[in-house]
Amino acid sequence: MANGFEKSRNKWGWVFISLSIIFIGLFIFYPLIYSLYLSFFSTKGAMKNFVGFGNYKRLFQDNYFILSVKNILVILVIQVPIMLFLALIFAFLLNDPKLKFKGVFRTALFLPAVSSLIAYSVVFKMMFSSEGLINNMLMKMHIIKEPIRWLLDPFWSKVTLIIAMTWRWTGYNMMLYLAGLQNIPQEIYEAAEIDGAGKVAQFFKITIPLLKPIILFTTILSTIGTLQLFDEPMMLAAGVTTGSSVGPGNSLLTPSVYIYNVSFKYVPNFGYASAISYMIVIISVILSLIQFKVAGEEK
Amino acid sequence: MKKRFSVFMLVVLFLGIVNAAGLSGKITIWCWDPNFNVAIMEEAAARYTKINPNAQIEIVSMAKEDVEQKLNTILASGVKKGLPEIVLIEDYNAKKYLESYPGAFADLTKHFNYDEFAPYKLEFMTIKDKVYGVPFDSGVAGWFYRRDYFEQAGIDPSKLDNITMDEYIELGKIVKEKTGKYMQAGDPYDGGLMRTLLQCAGTWYFDEKGQPNFVNNPAMVEAVNVYKKMADSGISKEVTGWNEWVAAFNGGEVASVITGVWIIGSIKAEPSQSGKWGVLPVPRLNVQGAVNASNLGGSSWYVLQNSENRDLAIDFLKEIYAKDVDFYQKILIDRGAIGTWLPAQKGEAYVAPDPFFGNQKIYVDFAKWMEMIPPVDYGIYTYEADAAIMGIMPDVYSGKLSVVEALKRAEEQCKNLIGL
Repeated sequence: MANGFEKSRNKWGWVFISLSIIFIGLFIFYPLIYSLYLSFFSTKGAMKNFVGFGNYKRLFQDNYFILSVKNILVILVIQVPIMLFLALIFAFLLNDPKLKFKGVFRTALFLPAVSSLIAYSVVFKMMFSSEGLINNMLMKMHIIKEPIRWLLDPFWSKVTLIIAMTWRWTGYNMMLYLAGLQNIPQEIYEAAEIDGAGKVAQFFKITIPLLKPIILFTTILSTIGTLQLFDEPMMLAAGVTTGSSVGPGNSLLTPSVYIYNVSFKYVPNFGYASAISYMIVIISVILSLIQFKVAGEEK
Repeated sequence: MKKRFSVFMLVVLFLGIVNAAGLSGKITIWCWDPNFNVAIMEEAAARYTKINPNAQIEIVSMAKEDVEQKLNTILASGVKKGLPEIVLIEDYNAKKYLESYPGAFADLTKHFNYDEFAPYKLEFMTIKDKVYGVPFDSGVAGWFYRRDYFEQAGIDPSKLDNITMDEYIELGKIVKEKTGKYMQAGDPYDGGLMRTLLQCAGTWYFDEKGQPNFVNNPAMVEAVNVYKKMADSGISKEVTGWNEWVAAFNGGEVASVITGVWIIGSIKAEPSQSGKWGVLPVPRLNVQGAVNASNLGGSSWYVLQNSENRDLAIDFLKEIYAKDVDFYQKILIDRGAIGTWLPAQKGEAYVAPDPFFGNQKIYVDFAKWMEMIPPVDYGIYTYEADAAIMGIMPDVYSGKLSVVEALKRAEEQCKNLIGL
């Protein structure tokens, strides 16, 4: 009897999860496996040529792919630490129980994260145009004499992208830190205060060490997010009629934008695009492993 | 067995009757730009359903990128369902699709009299003597200028219909000095002007075999020189993106615009400037064989071979786009669209003076220039080449690379992108 009940319960269990299994299989595992298979072909539209590891070999000689990885690494190395550090500071400040209007500040900081990617990119593009808000403000304040060529110079276009991304994602990471801070008992801070530790000492000696797992989590999340960066560079680089290069001198070319171009803008080569995607996966895994090692999580 | 056979016969009979009664069914059309292509197709659809009430036409308006993505993915997957009957494809991309998806598009050679279309439109839609498209709008280029600013600068437009790009830049300096206005606005990393200049010289990024031909292409060397001179002279207001570009001439900041005829709608969007504009032939590139006529953009209609109501779709395009003179007058007046079916250009709308352009008969001029456009085979790698040359421009502007050096580098980059 019990066995029969067990069986029917199992059966219903399978029924309940079958739907999600089917969908995950169809929309996640099947594309994953098929794109791996596809990455061994060089395609031109409907025509397919088996090339073995040819696509992967081509990647290492492909200046554009290498440039896109370089671009992304520059952004990663500069943008992610700035953003995470800012998020930590905001979270730390907002966690102060004595702070008033906490809700207002929290909402204000989190709002960018829920705004539409396209909308904010378009607004940033307007703000950072040669005669845009930012240049006008800086000129009025006599900080600069000549307008900065934000989106017309390879260096400044990256700066613009970094500023935009920091604006968009700081609040999101701050939320994660705030959640983490809830788990740190207030007593520890009180004890530290009694022992004479200032705010700065508290931040570095209590907050950061106790938040380590979450910091690691956000670092990995941001790393993967940056590697897959697509919307912002695509919008910021949109040109007059066609957007011939992705930002001045392809300074905003990211692997994801390159994948898009290889599949849709250039002669469609889905095989090579798949190979690039798998390369990004490999890079993400390597970077995540390094971060685990550095954070000492595996001990 | 017997029963099955009779059912089969019945179906055959039924199909026969339907066919005899004329073509019927539903035509699905994919295109972009609700104010231009979509609106024009709606006009065409309304006209066709009057001729053939059995036809039902659905026009799906999407972003250009979305049309391209959907078409690419469906065709690459090899599925026969979900395809539209008719799709709009940009001319620069046409050959890429035709070559990448052999058999996907219907051969229209025997359905249309292609002598009636502008010859430059046929170059890129013909593969091995088979024509696959119905030429639609022209991107015939013009040099739109502000009469008032030119007058203020003491420039006589009547002497400017045969000048080179170098002379244009010199004029720009005069305009800047006398009026304080920029001669033009442009994104220094956009390849549009490059393509306009190359086509006026009758060349493209590639040689006859389709190989990238940058360094040994005198037109290309000269075109990069023009970009560099333009940047150095400061006659061009630097903009990024379409909106800033349109704002520059709508706001009266620039004295002229060199681009495709499709810009007329955007120029006229500023009614206060009515009467102040004029159009001249584009300045040519300073190389042998270049003419004062060129093209930028434009697109054409293609029929999908495996779509359900293919024959109906072909009939539709034939009845409207290759027969209806009045239709072309209507879309010219309403949308500023210049078709490339030549018989339509004898129509009354084409010869009417336009008060916005100081009563100049601009469409007579455009029609004349359109026939002068040197036919060019765009090949299949236009956007790869565009990205390669424009990607190197920062180093040209800064002087880090000489023009020849930069072209050498860009040619390698282009080969790299193509995967040679």
